[in-house]
Amino acid sequence: MPKQLFIDPLKVRKPGKITFGEIPVNQYQKTLADEKENYSKEDLLEIYRDMVIIREFETMLNKIKTTNEYEGISYNHPGPAHLSIGQEAAAVGMAWLLDPHDYIFGSHRSHGEILAKGMSAIRKLQDNELLDTMQNYMDGVTLKVVEKDTHSGTRELALDFLLYGTLSEIFAKKTGFNKGLGGSMHAFFPPFGIYPNNAIVGGSGDIGVGAALYKKVNRKPGIVVVNIGDASMGCGPVWEGISFATMDQFKTLWDEPYRGGLPLIFNFMNNQYGMGGQTAGETMGYGILARVGAGVNPEMMHAERIDGYNPLAVIDAFRRKKKILEEKKGPVLLDTLTYRYSGHSPSDASTYRTKEELEAWMEQDSLKFFERELVKNNITTEGEIETLRKGVIERLVKILKWAVDDQISPRMDLVSHPDEIGDLMFSNGSVDKMEDREPEVLLPLEENPRVQQLKRKERFGLDKNGKPFSKVKTFQLRDGIFEAIIDRFYKDPTLVAYGEENRDWGGAFAVYRGLTESLPYHRLFNTTISEGAIVGTAIGYAMCGGRVIPEIMYCDFLGRAGDEVFNQMPKWQAMSGQVLKMPVVLRVSVGSKYGAQHSQDWTSLVAHIPGLKVVFPATPYDAKGLMNAALQGTDPVVFFESQRIYDIGEYFHEGGVPEGYYEIPIGQPDIKRKGRDITILSVGATLYRALEAADILAEKYDLSAEVIDARSLVPFDYTLVLESVKKTGRIVITGDASERGSYLKDMAQSVADLAFDDLDAPPVVVGSRNWITPAHELEDFFFPQPHWIIDAIHERILPLPGHTVQMDLTNDKLLELKRRGV
Amino acid sequence: MAEAVIMPRQGQSVETCIITKWYKEKGDPVEEGDLLFSYETDKAAFDEEAKVSGILLDRFFEEGDEVPVLETVAVIGREGEQVEEFKKSAPEKEPVEKEPEAEDVSGEQEKAPATQPPKPQASTPQTLEPQTSNLQTTISPRAKKLAEQKGVDYMKIKGTGPGGRIIERDILKVMEEQPHVTPLAREKMKKEDLAIPPEKARPHARVTSADLVEASAVAGGADGFTEVPLTRLRQLIADGMYRSLHESAQLTHHISADARKLLALRKKIKTLAEEGRLPNITLNDMVSYALIRALLQHPGINGHFLGDRVRLFNKVHLGFAVDTERGLLVPVVRDASLLTLEGLSIRMKELASACQTGSINPDLLAADQASFTLTNLGAFGIEYFTPVLNLPQIGILGVNTITPRPAQLEDGTFGFIPKIGLSLTYDHRAVDGAPASRFLQTLVQEIENFNPQVEGL
Repeated sequence: MPKQLFIDPLKVRKPGKITFGEIPVNQYQKTLADEKENYSKEDLLEIYRDMVIIREFETMLNKIKTTNEYEGISYNHPGPAHLSIGQEAAAVGMAWLLDPHDYIFGSHRSHGEILAKGMSAIRKLQDNELLDTMQNYMDGVTLKVVEKDTHSGTRELALDFLLYGTLSEIFAKKTGFNKGLGGSMHAFFPPFGIYPNNAIVGGSGDIGVGAALYKKVNRKPGIVVVNIGDASMGCGPVWEGISFATMDQFKTLWDEPYRGGLPLIFNFMNNQYGMGGQTAGETMGYGILARVGAGVNPEMMHAERIDGYNPLAVIDAFRRKKKILEEKKGPVLLDTLTYRYSGHSPSDASTYRTKEELEAWMEQDSLKFFERELVKNNITTEGEIETLRKGVIERLVKILKWAVDDQISPRMDLVSHPDEIGDLMFSNGSVDKMEDREPEVLLPLEENPRVQQLKRKERFGLDKNGKPFSKVKTFQLRDGIFEAIIDRFYKDPTLVAYGEENRDWGGAFAVYRGLTESLPYHRLFNTTISEGAIVGTAIGYAMCGGRVIPEIMYCDFLGRAGDEVFNQMPKWQAMSGQVLKMPVVLRVSVGSKYGAQHSQDWTSLVAHIPGLKVVFPATPYDAKGLMNAALQGTDPVVFFESQRIYDIGEYFHEGGVPEGYYEIPIGQPDIKRKGRDITILSVGATLYRALEAADILAEKYDLSAEVIDARSLVPFDYTLVLESVKKTGRIVITGDASERGSYLKDMAQSVADLAFDDLDAPPVVVGSRNWITPAHELEDFFFPQPHWIIDAIHERILPLPGHTVQMDLTNDKLLELKRRGV
Repeated sequence: MAEAVIMPRQGQSVETCIITKWYKEKGDPVEEGDLLFSYETDKAAFDEEAKVSGILLDRFFEEGDEVPVLETVAVIGREGEQVEEFKKSAPEKEPVEKEPEAEDVSGEQEKAPATQPPKPQASTPQTLEPQTSNLQTTISPRAKKLAEQKGVDYMKIKGTGPGGRIIERDILKVMEEQPHVTPLAREKMKKEDLAIPPEKARPHARVTSADLVEASAVAGGADGFTEVPLTRLRQLIADGMYRSLHESAQLTHHISADARKLLALRKKIKTLAEEGRLPNITLNDMVSYALIRALLQHPGINGHFLGDRVRLFNKVHLGFAVDTERGLLVPVVRDASLLTLEGLSIRMKELASACQTGSINPDLLAADQASFTLTNLGAFGIEYFTPVLNLPQIGILGVNTITPRPAQLEDGTFGFIPKIGLSLTYDHRAVDGAPASRFLQTLVQEIENFNPQVEGL
């Protein structure tokens, strides 16, 4: 919607046609003799050696999985091992030219890519850099194991380090690259530019885009390669990632030096199968995967199919594509054709393909082919090759012995340290800025028009007589959020915010109004309608070291980002052994008035997932303080905001919302009204209905209710609630989430558990009905109302003299509703 | 330097004690060793003596107050010394159990939730009608805790909560409807056999020690009876006995054993005891000793019934009933099966005497400390009775008087021999009739062939 882009009807309505250029397919046809001047003898031997190491590493795992033995060493590995035997040339060719600061992201089948990239980095780093990295990584626990052996040099030591760190990670050992918490499908090692693999097919398809965004926005050197399988082309997040990565605005609206395409290669490791589904001919329709590039942008994503069975063909392609990225014309799509001899996993009987097909590909095996070429060109001899292979086996036997030995390579001792994994779920950092440099802004903070406007607002919402000021005079909840966010934009140069309608519109609910005036495009922008990619890219951005605020316009759209919110954002801090931090504040706006798909409170869904902090403030003071705390932290926070109260003023905090900076610790509930006869614990905007209920209780029934605002859901400190219940003996827990399976129920269970002897009645939950949210005019029958709370108290806790109930809350009715599932 | 007087901890299971009497007033001079105050746990009474000399500078709790153990009760020091710092460690003058002061009474009433039963509503009448609680009385955890603290019998209360559940306000209502008796008056009533006068026996009435009248005057009055509040010990016994009969399947077998050997031994011991060569081992000690031997041969009786399992003990921990002024106490001889007859005799005497003086360690009075209990009414000439199980124990043996009974003598003629009556009550949930009888047979043999291996006998 930027005004500088004029949509000219005369132009867009003109007749015409789209023409496509050509997409090269396997155009590289050089022989090794043709390439001799481009590679030294040592280069060619190393390329071969890297392939042999990967082949033998995977063969070793295959033998362990299928026979529990390799070269006389017994071991049982019950966990996963998705092997890439047959794909070595594609992996080594991909990694060969990459620098250590070029990042790769992978899939469940990425052992080969990890090793190839690791060996590439070892070749390029100086000895002292290598030593430094190994010594400092996880306090050197991995290095200490491999150091015991004598090595002919630092690179040899580093190779053992790479192999051992990867293998012991696969075996879930504490000496692994991620303390054994990542395992086969999530092993990685950032110092060598190896970023997470992903057990969810296509999971890297949007996360990797975020890494490229990080490099662009923060002007970091290097490119990002997303290695995902051919079948992931069927995954939504991959398409969303591609859409996000090819947004026109990078080339049209972003200012220099940020203008231009993302430094990103979507490298489809096309082994032609998605488990047993054959992508070409059966489960996809593209014929040749590279064709997809043609439909994405005018550059056709510089798409190309390359021969992944010839390492030199892959290196050639990466050399050419890197140049395109340097010219800021990315992203690039590569269709790297390859084939795996191993099954999807060792338990795969390969019933979906013929022996003839397998043999035909083995006949053209990349190792055999390259070996023949090397001998033919007098680079090496068959004898030397045999020696090399033996050496690799000896090395792997040595590594395997260390990795299987529980003394040398122990697992986490959860008996002695039962909280060790729990301690890794959150990093609980407090960091002003993720990087120390001047933030890029367009004008001084005090000149920002909204900042100036806010100076004139009433920061306490009630006048001398206790009457609310008019909306226009009131400092509102949305203003509290705005103040915290703009403050951080002027502190943390890495902070970016994006989502749908975030820039000129000021966000659909005017939280960001005024931000556009202060921020250049690359720090605040509109995205594709791709909730998956909005969250996924933020995850990639954060794991590279940036801070980011993605926005989901309506809570109901969270489902569109299900994998990112449930599987990615909460997991990576712990799965990486906290090598990665995840400073993502995901703003989620909870709707009302707009019916079944725009009015749901899904706080309970995210509160259920371990690894997310969840807050839901209901006052301007709390909103600002909690947003400050979320932005100061290093953990993923899902920040819920209610559209029902964006315009509410501050009615509780004495003196109103402070102009300066302050934090409200995440996890601390707050008493909004003191009382002694009954406790009402509310989540989110329901606070105001709870207060209305408290008024009725006081006026009509002479009961004084204590109203506690939960403010946070995860973490949650129950101390205040338990103290209150000790006093009152009674508690109603209320919020807008549909009652069944909600976090309100979890709170009720916790109170029953922790305060049983203090209770005069069971904790009672008043949530929304287990229905669709009806139209605004019928909402009072769906969301908890003050009289629901009174009825619940009367029927289930403390019969109130003279009270006439409106709702049927008898046991029979409740049982009937449960029986019917509504 | 002023010193705190602390409420001592009498046993691990004791959390609070009640001060029953103060012997010193604030400002009184105190000598080391002077009696300061008396207090009681739910099972025993104690005296606290001053450990330093000085002036009793302040008292933080009064008679009738329930005081958490290790709490500061008072301060002794020199004239003019400050006591503020000691006060801080004491709770906000809010003892666990305290009668509301007169000034508080009206305020209390206002604060309490509405007490009149709610009127039935057309929409949901079933939830609003207060229901009489029956054996399945439902009561909220909070109300139950309060009732137990305040000694309110909730079994007879009509609940006004949802579904007739007894809730906190129901207990508060009962408490309000009883007269308010000041702590001093309550103590005096107990000690001096005084009673609440009829005109004060109504809700909200305030009863001070001056109002009290002779119990006999009340008893002889219009109503012709006196209501005597139960002591804590009495309440405890009442609960225990009721629970035992209510919750177990107990029955009693009677048998008698030839007591000639016991009586002969007793005669010998008496002589030796007079010469100071043996402790005064009584018939009860001897029966206890025989009982222990019999229990060791029938481990299925020597234990606890725990609902889904029984806990059988490798040793015998023998509980025995002691009649004291305050009521029945049952101390336990731990590891009794390891003791000689003399050792057993000495230990039982020690424990009985501690019960009498109130200095018994409360931990030794817990029912789950004993594996089996013995109770003896022989001295009263009781011939047979049905002892009540001390739950969770499986068995209890009642020992009766010795009576001459006709029997065929060894020489074939008929005559009278002294027989001691034995009444075994056991829990049929744990043990069947035949094994219980076999156990009694063994006990009879142990008594008739009594052989305690005591030097000199």
